[in-house]
Amino acid sequence: MATTAIDRTRRMLSLVTYLKERPGARVEEVARAFGISPGELISDVNVLPMCGTSFRGGDLLDIDTDGEHIWWHNADALDSGTGQPLRLAADEATALLVAARAVATLPGLRDGDRDALLRATAKLEAAAGENAGASSRLSVTFESEGGVFADVDRAITERRRLRIRYYSPGRDELTDREIDPIRLFAVGHTYVEAWCHRSEARRTFRLDRVARIELLDTAADPPPVEPRDLSEGLVQPAPTDPEVVIEVGPGGRWVAEYYPHDTAEELPDGGLRVTLRTPDPATLRRLALRLGGDGRIVAPPELADSAREAARAALELYEQAERAEAAPAAAPAQRAGEPEPSVERA
Amino acid sequence: MAIAKAERLMNLALCLLGASRPLSKRELRASIEAYLEVTSEEAFNRMFERDKDDLRELGMVLETVESIDGEIGYLARRDRNQLPPVTLDAEEAAALQLAASVWQQARLAGAASGALQKLRAAGMPLAEEEREAYSALEPRVPAGEAAFEPLMLACRDRRPVTFDYRKSNAVRPQTRQVEPWALECWRGHWYLAGFDRDRGAERVFRLSRIVGRVRSRAGSFTAEVPGQVAVRESVARWAGEHATAQARIRLRAGAGYPLRARATRVSAAAQEGWDELEIPYGHGLDAWLAEFGPDVLVLEPAELRADVVDRLRAVAKG
Repeated sequence: MATTAIDRTRRMLSLVTYLKERPGARVEEVARAFGISPGELISDVNVLPMCGTSFRGGDLLDIDTDGEHIWWHNADALDSGTGQPLRLAADEATALLVAARAVATLPGLRDGDRDALLRATAKLEAAAGENAGASSRLSVTFESEGGVFADVDRAITERRRLRIRYYSPGRDELTDREIDPIRLFAVGHTYVEAWCHRSEARRTFRLDRVARIELLDTAADPPPVEPRDLSEGLVQPAPTDPEVVIEVGPGGRWVAEYYPHDTAEELPDGGLRVTLRTPDPATLRRLALRLGGDGRIVAPPELADSAREAARAALELYEQAERAEAAPAAAPAQRAGEPEPSVERA
Repeated sequence: MAIAKAERLMNLALCLLGASRPLSKRELRASIEAYLEVTSEEAFNRMFERDKDDLRELGMVLETVESIDGEIGYLARRDRNQLPPVTLDAEEAAALQLAASVWQQARLAGAASGALQKLRAAGMPLAEEEREAYSALEPRVPAGEAAFEPLMLACRDRRPVTFDYRKSNAVRPQTRQVEPWALECWRGHWYLAGFDRDRGAERVFRLSRIVGRVRSRAGSFTAEVPGQVAVRESVARWAGEHATAQARIRLRAGAGYPLRARATRVSAAAQEGWDELEIPYGHGLDAWLAEFGPDVLVLEPAELRADVVDRLRAVAKG
């Protein structure tokens, strides 16, 4: 991530304050405190000797480093006003407060951590003063899948295996599987990344699709895998995945918002021609059915055929139902008095 | 380039913070080498104005004071620029640090680290070791669209904006004039709530549907900003979360788990191999039911049934 001059200036101003109190500070520790690499820190420290209250009369900061420690030879030359930490800017207060509030609402957060977060939020609000006000104009809600979340969180902490019944929307089926959870993350929805013993591979599961969960006494033993890099988005199709081409009208433009794609060309009618890759094109049959008149699958042809067949089979059902409704006398009414086996949902 | 600018801003900040009296533009220019190097008066003035804005951006409060002889002086008062005392313990510090890592949007990520660094300078403790995450969870907020940053600033500064917006089913984008109130991220997408001037009412916009640039407008808000802005409720209504009626459907046994999870009532249907469900009927249900193809049969209401059949016909024909 490129650092802007503003970011860098505020970092260096904080650095000056920090170093003033800590003669001979260790490079490694300062870098950690500032959340930057030792290299970035050294390059900041190399700029500081060019800064001061005036470039005349020896008022520049006399700071240097041997790569291990940072020394400031004229710290007392700096007026006390310049050595104080600066108040939080509106953006800074917003970034920290909104994040803290969002995280504090996560279910499954340990009570101690939630308390610490709430205490810190209150202190920050007080310290930011009027600049805390703008933070109400930005908010983030993480989806909460409470009960499931708590079990997964516990399984990760206690390194235990989970048995889950999981819904795959592409195939509209529930499968039972044992998984060794690796980590939980939230990008819109909350997900668990795990080693799945059923597919013998790493898989990502969305918590709101977990229909049932059970914490097992078996120890989790996921093979060591690099955590997925989420900065590129959750769905990262492989270059070898089959290609699917979908043409949508204006009413189907949302497809380009929901599906990561390679290209989306504008069509003359205000629609789009979207090209994407997916390991399992059959799962897109649902998309074709949902789109109705707002779009169609262009390729692969088997996928387009399967959507058409599904639609025809469904229409057939409606025709049957209509025939049955037109001839109600044919249906015996023997069930009238029977108690209905039913499941009430809370 | 970036280093030269950061160095210049540092010098300006240190000069202003170190002075106990207002400094004139002339004095500042004489103290900062980078300003002396600029020979044109006009270029210097432009640079100086921009630099002052940048310092305000990072939180400095600069005041202008006119001296007796009419010269403008700039002053960074100590009491207005200093962070009030704030004492955070190691636990609170670790919690904040983890919270700050949710941002993937560059400006907010930068602002969050800037805030942590100021707190660090004010003595916020650093854990002995990298602390284990406070829960196994790693929450992330997506970076958002190009429209995010200008809208965030417009919400912050309460500035009206204009942008081209394509409604989900519209062929062409339309220009909207909006007084932006608040941004909210829900289910991984960013939304803007504000007052739509042409429609004279509150509207919610999805950022991914904004086409092109967000332009700032002069002037101030004309409508009152409500105390509570309910972005999520409006979006949820469109997402079909607020049902207005009940629908009755037949669902093939074993299929459609999410429909079952939503159902208010599930019973065995008269026909073998099928269940009968009652589910809340809100916006978008027809499209959702069509997804299940021959595993769903809508019984009532007739209007929903007709909508689903229409969709299926379009696909069967395609």
